[in-house]
Amino acid sequence: MKSLHEIKESFSIAYGAVKANKVRGMLTTLGIIIGIVAVVTTMTAANGLGNRFKESISVIGSDVLYVSRTPWVFSGNFFQFRNRNQLTLRDGEKLERQLHEAKAVNTRTFSNQNLKYRSTVLENVTIIGTTENHVLVSAGAPQYGRFIIDNDVQYKKQVCVIGWEIKDRLFKDVDPINKKIKIGRYHFRVVGVMEKLGSAGFFGGPNFDRQVMVPISTLMKCFGGRNRNFDIVVKAPSTEALYDFEYSVIGEMRKIRKLAPTEENDFSINKMDTLMAAYNNVMGVVILIGLVITSISLFVGGIGVMNIMFVSVTERTREIGIRKAIGAKKRSILIQFLFESSSICLIGGLIGLIMAYGVTQIINAFLLPASISPGIVIIAIVISVMVGVVSGIIPAYRASKLNPIEALRYE
Amino acid sequence: MQLEIKEITKNYKMGTEIVAALRGISVNLLKNEYLAIMGPSGSGKSTLMNIIGCLDTHSAGSYLLEGADVSKMNDDQLAEIRNQKIGFVFQTFNLIPRADVFHNVELPMVYSGISSSMRKKLAEEAIEKVGLTDRMKHKPSELSGGQRQRVAIARALVNNPSIILADEPTGNLDSSTGAEIMSVLDQLHQAGNTIILVTHENDIAAHANRVIKLKDGLVETDELNHKHFAA
Repeated sequence: MKSLHEIKESFSIAYGAVKANKVRGMLTTLGIIIGIVAVVTTMTAANGLGNRFKESISVIGSDVLYVSRTPWVFSGNFFQFRNRNQLTLRDGEKLERQLHEAKAVNTRTFSNQNLKYRSTVLENVTIIGTTENHVLVSAGAPQYGRFIIDNDVQYKKQVCVIGWEIKDRLFKDVDPINKKIKIGRYHFRVVGVMEKLGSAGFFGGPNFDRQVMVPISTLMKCFGGRNRNFDIVVKAPSTEALYDFEYSVIGEMRKIRKLAPTEENDFSINKMDTLMAAYNNVMGVVILIGLVITSISLFVGGIGVMNIMFVSVTERTREIGIRKAIGAKKRSILIQFLFESSSICLIGGLIGLIMAYGVTQIINAFLLPASISPGIVIIAIVISVMVGVVSGIIPAYRASKLNPIEALRYE
Repeated sequence: MQLEIKEITKNYKMGTEIVAALRGISVNLLKNEYLAIMGPSGSGKSTLMNIIGCLDTHSAGSYLLEGADVSKMNDDQLAEIRNQKIGFVFQTFNLIPRADVFHNVELPMVYSGISSSMRKKLAEEAIEKVGLTDRMKHKPSELSGGQRQRVAIARALVNNPSIILADEPTGNLDSSTGAEIMSVLDQLHQAGNTIILVTHENDIAAHANRVIKLKDGLVETDELNHKHFAA
């Protein structure tokens, strides 16, 4: 009860002190504002990068596993994967037959070829040999035309479905459906255009819009079927079941590959989480460094507050003497000045947050899908109050220790 | 017994030298006494006042305030004693410049933890006693010297202290305003308060009914004021 009155008193003193020195308070607050804007913007930009990455790999699908010869991301020795046998088309067929709980299975293979339409050439485009199951396992669907159907695969038809960017580059405003393009030395008829899928090119990953899909049988016919590596895409019954599903896939694959219980897997299971984890690993460090650097500006702001608090204590030495003479305890004086410094910082933090919101909107409009989350707001407020307490503690302690007689005599 | 001081000494360290400000002073004070402490500068009267007001601690001797031994208390306990038992009136008023009259008077009660409705009632009563009800919302800078000192007196009164300690209360005032302030103190004495007045002016000391004169850290004379008893 007693301390409640003191806190109320401290609050009104702090308010009065800030109000009485508006310009000084504003300048001091500016340091904190800049610091908070820097820290918050770093955090939102980091969030934005994370969102952009997630968006760009969302086409991979969160409930899909990719069985491949090598992992997508690996640290350490490549040679441990080099001697693995390639995954074959038969492996894919067997897995499709044996893995009953899978929603869909699709076997794919890749080739890089140049594209040509009239005089326009696109070099080194990823050609995916796939089946009609492709649309069942992956998120994308054709925007115009159709996808590859079983008939195309069965009769090795030279048809293709092109990615958004390919359509844009080769055809501009022309309707590409039923136009012939050259993939390598072969003519293919465009039957569909995929919707925009996004690109992880920003992070050095694949660009899903710069791909061409053809029937897997046609790809093997045109660009060679021997010594070719495949990967098998399997869709889990649900995202929640992914963990258990992964074990079933590993079990079936070991049977297919005829591995003895003592042998290690000679294939890898990849999924979206693998990429997310790799991203978090790398970006975690980058973001941490960013935060450390931006925190320096907050630290400088804190020093500014500490400086002003020393001035404020000196200026009000006599007032401290009066308060002590009429019965203020050390604690009351300490709370009074801590309140003052943390209010300055809290105000700075709130203004900083508002400005950071503006900066985030700009980032959002031009660069990244960044946003300020409630977590960031809470962190920013807590940090700014903490800066206030930390930078106020020494001046406040000094004030609380003042001798009342000397303080009263101070001119 | 309101106050019991026995053989108090106070030494200051000035560099390597030790200076004795008080060299063994004994004073007893009864309830509702009106005491003036006089003496030339350097006689130790400020030191004595600071010790009586619990702003400072003595080097040796004993000091009982309403039976409580002050010499054994720490800073926070002394702050509580100052808050509860002492009312200060200073020569330079010592009001908080940014706070209005009401808040200045209310402040000791904030530190003693009285509820705000009770504070309002008591502060208004005290302000009424010194006749400043119409100036409640004024800042000290908007008041005359005499009015400021009245605010200080109201603040000193508000926690109903054992002793009102007035250090040269008229020192910064012209003589007619000074007389006004002295009449306020006289009224408080008549209302039953114990008052200690520190002054070097004989006219002011004449208001008290007992005068102690200090010289070189010792009590020179301690006598009743005959004028009062002659009347």
